[in-house]
Amino acid sequence: MAARRNNPSGIVPTIQNIVSTVDLDCVLDLNHIALHSRNSEYFPKRFSAVIMRIKDPKTTALIFASGKMVCTGAKTEAQSKLAARKFARIIQKLGFPAKFRDFRIQNIVASCDVQFTIRLEKFACTSHGAFSTYEPELFPGLIYRMKQPKLVLLIFVSGNVVIAGAKKRDDFYTAFDNIYPVLAEFKK
Amino acid sequence: MGDAFCSDCKRQTEVVFDHSAGDTVCSECGLVLESHSIDETSEWRTFANESGDNDPVRVGGPTNPLLADGGLSTVIAKPNGGSGEFLSSSLGRWQNRGSNPDRGLILAFKTIATMSDRLGLVATIKDRANEIYKRVEDQKSSRGRNQDALLAACLYIACRQEDKPRTVKEICSVANGATKKEIGRAKEYIVKQLGLETGQSVEMGTIHAGDFMRRFCSNLGMNNQAVKAAQEAVQKSEEFDIRRSPISIAAAVIYIITQLSEEKKPSLKDISGATGVAEGTIRNSYKDLHPHVLKIIPSWFAKEEDLKNLCSP
Repeated sequence: MAARRNNPSGIVPTIQNIVSTVDLDCVLDLNHIALHSRNSEYFPKRFSAVIMRIKDPKTTALIFASGKMVCTGAKTEAQSKLAARKFARIIQKLGFPAKFRDFRIQNIVASCDVQFTIRLEKFACTSHGAFSTYEPELFPGLIYRMKQPKLVLLIFVSGNVVIAGAKKRDDFYTAFDNIYPVLAEFKK
Repeated sequence: MGDAFCSDCKRQTEVVFDHSAGDTVCSECGLVLESHSIDETSEWRTFANESGDNDPVRVGGPTNPLLADGGLSTVIAKPNGGSGEFLSSSLGRWQNRGSNPDRGLILAFKTIATMSDRLGLVATIKDRANEIYKRVEDQKSSRGRNQDALLAACLYIACRQEDKPRTVKEICSVANGATKKEIGRAKEYIVKQLGLETGQSVEMGTIHAGDFMRRFCSNLGMNNQAVKAAQEAVQKSEEFDIRRSPISIAAAVIYIITQLSEEKKPSLKDISGATGVAEGTIRNSYKDLHPHVLKIIPSWFAKEEDLKNLCSP
């Protein structure tokens, strides 16, 4: 992949989870899939999709009757695509004419540690207050909704930062580069 | 007495105003120019020594600018005692069933008034909560939401905006049926709606333990010295890195102060009831605070030996 962004701190966020969707382009019989595969569960009263899991890469897929599929749990983009292809292969083997259309990564969740404690109350009071929500009674972390790129960061007192809502790896690198100097300002 | 143009005499003549009949009469030919004129002087005479609750000059309640017509409409009341004729009671029913654009608003305002009464809030906060609710209701997207949670959240935001915050648990206790989670979600929703409506105007500072100190202390009946010491302690504790909710820190500080004072010490259960913090949480917060207790408690309140005698968690 492209070279890691050089952040003056040298910290790079690590991806924890990738959610992607793909269209298999054919109508599926969920009962048939649930009966003929080992690693799936299907409770139509609870949720109208088959939940299938594979061991490598360790991922879970939600497969709907319309042929659309959601794949979660992968740690890199390549793994997510590979896992989606594996699920599609399983569906194919079960006898459905599955194709692989419109594979798209919908959400990437990453986390990192800035190694210092942060003063969240001060953060929420400043000019960044328009984007932050800090409600210690409701949630211990500050919720920062960044406009450019459009994603959400959860900033904790311990210095851990969780970035969610990115569609590309570069998005959350940029986000972290943007937020790091601001956090450094409010170091405890 | 005055001059006006008389249509019979065709010229300006002396005109007499007769107060008893309300007529304006031409003095030359006797033609009545205007009859039944409305007397605009006051209807009642009120004297200084007369009090009584009814001031006959004023009619109805104060106007409410939030309601559509200012609350000026007339309502047919149900006759009390034996129900009179068929007509009057049905009329009352029919009028109420008719389209009343403000009915939801009036009901909501009444609920907010009940809740703020239970908490003992001033009218400023209640009015602000009403205003917030009206602004949110104007955007129709709030139809399917839990009304109780929405009203409770309006009250919560109003308290915050007036710098007299109430904990979500306190609001929970007067809101019928709304859970902490629902109120929290409703609050986020309202903040978003208000932000959409008037770009980013919602100003709410973060809560601090000191905001709640006075109230919690008076609930427990602590004396003045203890209250002052508690407030100072909480101010100082903000400098240390204690990762706890401000309410829990407040409860733990109250626990320490009451343990140090000579008077009757409230048990953990009492403090838990007054602050809304669970006993286990107070104990854990006490553990977090204990290492810093020397620096937090003001020296005029307790000497070092007392502090050393404080039970170690």
